[in-house]
Amino acid sequence: MSLDFLVPSTAAVARSPMEREALRARARLETRDGWTVAVSFDEPEAERRACNETVAFADLSWLTKIELQAGAADLAAIVASCTGGGRLELGGAIRVGGAWWCPYTAERAVVLCEPGAAARVRDRIQEAAGVAGGLASAVDVTTAHGALAILGPLSRELFARFTAIDLRPQLTPVGGFRPGSLARVPGAILREAPDRYLMLFGAALGRYVWTVVSDAAERLGGRPVGADALEPFEERVPEAASHA
Amino acid sequence: MTRLPPQRGERIDRRRPVDFTFDGQRVEALEGDTVGSALYAVGQRTFSRSFKYHRRRGLLCCAGQCPNCLVQVDGAPGVRACTEPVREGMHVEHMNASPSLDFDAMRATDLVGGPFTPPGFYYKTFIRPRRLWPLYEKVLRRAAGLGRVAKSRREREWRTEYRRRHADVLVVGGGAAGLAAAAAAAELGADVVLADEGPAPGGRLLAEGGQDHAREAAEHARRAGAELLSNAPALGAFDGLVPVWQGDTLHQVRAKRHVYTTGVIEQPLLFPGNDLPGVMLSGGARRLVSLYAVKPGTRAIVATVCDRGLDAALALIGAGVEVACVADLRADAASPAAQALVRRGVELRRAATVLEARGRGHVQGAVLGARGGDGHERVMACDLLVVSGGGAPATSLLCQAGARTAYDAERGVFALASLPGGVYAAGEVAGHGELHAAELSGAVAGAEAAHSLGLGDADSRARAVAGSERLSRGPVGPSGVAVPPPVAGDRGARCFACLCEDVTAKDIHLSVEEGYDSIELSKRYTTTTMGPCQGRMCQLPAIRLMAAETGQSLEQVGTTTARPPWQAVPMGVLAGRPFEPAKRSSIHGRHRELGANVMWAGDWRRPYDYGDPRGEALAVHDAAGLIDVSTLGKLIVRGPDAGEFLDRLYPNRLSNLRPGRIRYGVITSDAGRIIDDGTICRLDDESFYVTTTSSGAGAVYEWFSWWLADWPLRVHLTDVTQGLAAVNLAGPRAREIMAKVSAVDCSSEAFAYLDGKQADVAGARSLILRIGFVGEVGYEIHFPAAHGEHVWDALLEAGADYGLRPFGLEPQRLLRLQKMHILVGQDTDSESTPYGAAMPWIVKLDKDQAFIGRWALERAAEEPPETALVGFTLPDGRVPKEGAAVLPESGDGQVGQVTSARHSPQLGQVIGMAWVPAGLARDGAEVTISDDGKRLRARVVTKPFFDPEGEVLRS
Repeated sequence: MSLDFLVPSTAAVARSPMEREALRARARLETRDGWTVAVSFDEPEAERRACNETVAFADLSWLTKIELQAGAADLAAIVASCTGGGRLELGGAIRVGGAWWCPYTAERAVVLCEPGAAARVRDRIQEAAGVAGGLASAVDVTTAHGALAILGPLSRELFARFTAIDLRPQLTPVGGFRPGSLARVPGAILREAPDRYLMLFGAALGRYVWTVVSDAAERLGGRPVGADALEPFEERVPEAASHA
Repeated sequence: MTRLPPQRGERIDRRRPVDFTFDGQRVEALEGDTVGSALYAVGQRTFSRSFKYHRRRGLLCCAGQCPNCLVQVDGAPGVRACTEPVREGMHVEHMNASPSLDFDAMRATDLVGGPFTPPGFYYKTFIRPRRLWPLYEKVLRRAAGLGRVAKSRREREWRTEYRRRHADVLVVGGGAAGLAAAAAAAELGADVVLADEGPAPGGRLLAEGGQDHAREAAEHARRAGAELLSNAPALGAFDGLVPVWQGDTLHQVRAKRHVYTTGVIEQPLLFPGNDLPGVMLSGGARRLVSLYAVKPGTRAIVATVCDRGLDAALALIGAGVEVACVADLRADAASPAAQALVRRGVELRRAATVLEARGRGHVQGAVLGARGGDGHERVMACDLLVVSGGGAPATSLLCQAGARTAYDAERGVFALASLPGGVYAAGEVAGHGELHAAELSGAVAGAEAAHSLGLGDADSRARAVAGSERLSRGPVGPSGVAVPPPVAGDRGARCFACLCEDVTAKDIHLSVEEGYDSIELSKRYTTTTMGPCQGRMCQLPAIRLMAAETGQSLEQVGTTTARPPWQAVPMGVLAGRPFEPAKRSSIHGRHRELGANVMWAGDWRRPYDYGDPRGEALAVHDAAGLIDVSTLGKLIVRGPDAGEFLDRLYPNRLSNLRPGRIRYGVITSDAGRIIDDGTICRLDDESFYVTTTSSGAGAVYEWFSWWLADWPLRVHLTDVTQGLAAVNLAGPRAREIMAKVSAVDCSSEAFAYLDGKQADVAGARSLILRIGFVGEVGYEIHFPAAHGEHVWDALLEAGADYGLRPFGLEPQRLLRLQKMHILVGQDTDSESTPYGAAMPWIVKLDKDQAFIGRWALERAAEEPPETALVGFTLPDGRVPKEGAAVLPESGDGQVGQVTSARHSPQLGQVIGMAWVPAGLARDGAEVTISDDGKRLRARVVTKPFFDPEGEVLRS
């Protein structure tokens, strides 16, 4: 038997753990890559303003997440092979081909990518693992984690409401990846661009985390935005960004 | 109305009136006023009643340092009127007086109760009879409370939140030194936060004519990049974390370096009547005049030990107050301020102090004379008695941060003696009180803090060194002070050492007489320094009194331990936002829609039932039931050594499990005790899928990880608990329902009991485990959590024609009890071994592999357990409580306990599980259960109540 039962299927509806919260906030949903995605909240101007002037958050739980485990040397070899020579250092992630490679430890990392790129990334990992020769394991943990993008000039102020992780640029530059406590639960923050972050947390805590983030954002004049509102910001996420 | 003409630097806006009410009466104030200044301006002199004796108390410090002006604002008690800004429509009420502030019935305590209320009287008086304590407590709280918290949740609703702020340098204190420190550090590139308790940065400058200078210094610090927080007192120092309270926000500041510029706290003088309204600290009087343009009195007497009082006298004269006399305890005061007073014709009495304040309800006069009295006392009329006992360095936060203090005999205060690494002090708290010296010391401290972080250059370091040298050379301390006596005068009236707790000098004397002769013991006995001022006003006087009483030096007496919070803070601010982390399965929303009653189960929210637990349980037997078991812990164990890894962790054998098969397992500690249980399904040669209990998931993952870190095995572990949803479809119609949603062959031949298969269920790739926790044919379906609602809906729809019903935790507990399946933690405890829990078959002592708990289990196998877990039935129909005692056949005591009990509608009787003496662990034995005092006779059962041979389960 394989571990296919961990991977969402396009033959069944896949829902984010925060879908109901998004619907309560009047999200408009669309099915994309098998997932129902909150694409907008039908207030494009308000969403744009939040992204540019205050703080916005968007549900990206549909991002594919692959947990990669191997011995430190093997992991480094696999990452280098898959990223064209990229090297992971704790505290920093690298982005190649639209996928983020984020190390939790020297022997464990998570790879984040669009669902459409997942098969390609998985194949490359398998191939690289075969070359590395040691014991390596790539497990799809897409549905184990909720994911929220946080963007806007008040992003750091928003995080300050629920995490003690130091996100000042000198400690968390673009490409910084900081696992730690978020809203009193385990999670991680990836700084994708100067004013854009991605936070990961346990999927079962989705509703709770949404509530915390939404409450804090509202206080700062922010709001939820749809995935479409992020598109203009995609280009600001640099390739090969690395904390190192 | 005592409002003065416009004062330079006043904080009020005369064009913007603000109305509020005080005890129901409308009060006209001005924007920028505090409640205290506004009330004082309209003639209010009594602001509160004291804690114990209910004496009148008026404005004293006007800086939020003392307890004299505590009021209730919009229902919130304990608000300091002197620092609380007025807001349109706010409701202010007095505290601790009934029926009114002017006529307080409890004043009788002061008039006649004094002899009966020495320190500790309540410890001695209210301990008997003990049953009356609840009554005493109510009365005492009402009599001596510090206001009341609203009972209604709505009235208490107040949004508060945390803000975590990392910084390179935190400066505490926004006076001249603090602003200079912040600017210096920020200019060198440090990320600086400055926290100041005042409404605007500047500290004493604002009330002493330095408003422009303060503004410029603040602007300089801001321009340099420092973040200035106003109205933001630091609450404590916790190993580098400094909480700063600002309105409804608690800033949790984590800085690499800390600069404390907390200044000094002006001390009161101790003399009979020192708590009368109208007795005011010199700083308080000056603040009223300069910040709020309020005339504090018409005829004043000033008693001082330093130039602060002289400067205040000059300021009062400037505000049109007649200064009748200034008593300076120093014999040779000849400062410019003293000379100016003489030039203005003010009587300046040297080597004199105030021996008593007189008046009814308010100061009406004072007795002046030499300390201790020399027969040349003089009584003078006044309505304002301004006092200054000098400034005591505000070292409390520094001490919390690890600083040490030592007594400085010359200044009569406890001054800083040493600082821990990474902590700096500047300004008056460090002995640099004069403006230029304070700013220089601040700049040096800020620069040194930045330099220690690797910032700055050779020039900046040279400047800091030069500044430091100038500070060490120059006469930077305050002009001379006279150390005041513990008590001036001895004239019968009460002389208060601690205004917060109404502790008099006589109380300190009595406490020493009773043996509480150390400052820490006296603190606990008399509660001195434990009130809202946190020792600001009373610590030094109490130490002086203690020294006088015991004959020790002040150094020997020492100080009390500085503890947070340094500033009284509402509990709501500490609590933050009321969000509770709760895990919810991906199907949770559907449960709510189906009317589930939801309960906490560990850190999960789960359906207790859907309104009909009995019917839900019966449906599982009669047709089919569906329960969400997504909360189960789920681990993927992969690698060539995965089988061996599990063999080492479980007492049974798992390496020989065939792919596609499932085995039950318990996890034991190294003491052989059961710590969790679950199933293990072998997916392929190198992969296992392990489930754990819902509440044990995290602990088991850590347990596995911990051992994996130690053992050199080629295994990887992945926690997929939250990534997979799981449901259990069980009942006689389960097979038919499965056939409607999946192509998998569910016949008993193709899909036998304890088989595991992968197949699509309603389009979702799933792992299907044929197991039966609830006793019926069952399929536990595990699939990506994102498909939770989809699969749930599909199953309910497919089962609609077969009588499928969702069921919750309560029916599940009944159903598993019928099968005598244990719940770890409920039916077992920290001493339960598999032998005691009737599972000796699960321990494979014959396997070659050493495993966790083997040594202990080998011994347990040799010595039969004293108690055993059995089932029981109760003929009389009463369901005993879980935890009810199993009694011995004769004698007293308890020989076991009930762990689970329910009435089973399926079986028509009460069933349960209990730990009983091993000798009674046989079918038909009778045991006695005591349930709330009622004795019940139960009959022991050793096999499952339902389907004892497992024929249904395997069918």
